[in-house]
Amino acid sequence: MPFSNLFTAQAISGSGLSAERFRMEVIANNIANANSTKSANGGPFRRQEVVFAEVLGRAGDGGMPALGGVQAVDVVEDPTELPKVYMPGHPEADPDGMVTMPNVNLPMEMTNLLTASRAYEANLRDAQQFRTMNEQALPILRS
Amino acid sequence: MTPSAFGIDVLRRLMDAAALRHQVISQNVANVNTPGYRRLAVEFEDELAKVLGTAGGSADAVAPKVVVEDRAERVDGNTVDLDREMGDLNKNTLLFQAASQIAASRFASMRSAISGR
Repeated sequence: MPFSNLFTAQAISGSGLSAERFRMEVIANNIANANSTKSANGGPFRRQEVVFAEVLGRAGDGGMPALGGVQAVDVVEDPTELPKVYMPGHPEADPDGMVTMPNVNLPMEMTNLLTASRAYEANLRDAQQFRTMNEQALPILRS
Repeated sequence: MTPSAFGIDVLRRLMDAAALRHQVISQNVANVNTPGYRRLAVEFEDELAKVLGTAGGSADAVAPKVVVEDRAERVDGNTVDLDREMGDLNKNTLLFQAASQIAASRFASMRSAISGR
């Protein structure tokens, strides 16, 4: 194994950690804006979702798949229908007193948050094991 | 007596394979939420056992291979099972530790043989 590959495993776990952290940030943003009737694009806030993609590096040695980790490539808005709530006193209410609310669904966000947090833990565990392995290998150099 | 007579070359190959497998497991774990991702695996030990079983077989003849493993996929087309990855990770670390400890003790024996103490 070439020396340059020594920390590949660490870099891959790192990419997983930052991708999952980013997903948690987006989920937190969704929850925080669960009642925002105004957003940057004018209408009510739409829940956002992160798109993950495998990093496609250059082809590895001997036709082996390249190991580049993961990256969050895009944040997309959920196009599902926005619910309407009867709130006649609200400044955003239409003539019928209905207010269009964000399509944030709390149980769904909590489930996604849990998934992201478990995946983060798994990546962390991976990084810890990498450390253990290298600590074990270093004593071979000691005399 | 050459160093390979101590089995150092086999241990080295084993540790290389374990390090590569750790990278592959990291890749699988990092992509646990990537839709359509296919799990990767490292094939090495079976091949190594086959080569070492033949007369005059050398560990240098086998190289660890990264293969795409087809397994039951989830609704998003991803085939990573986090529990299994964590199990494989523990197993792989133990394998690496065993190999590195044996290698360290082999080197210690050589060192004491050289110094005569």
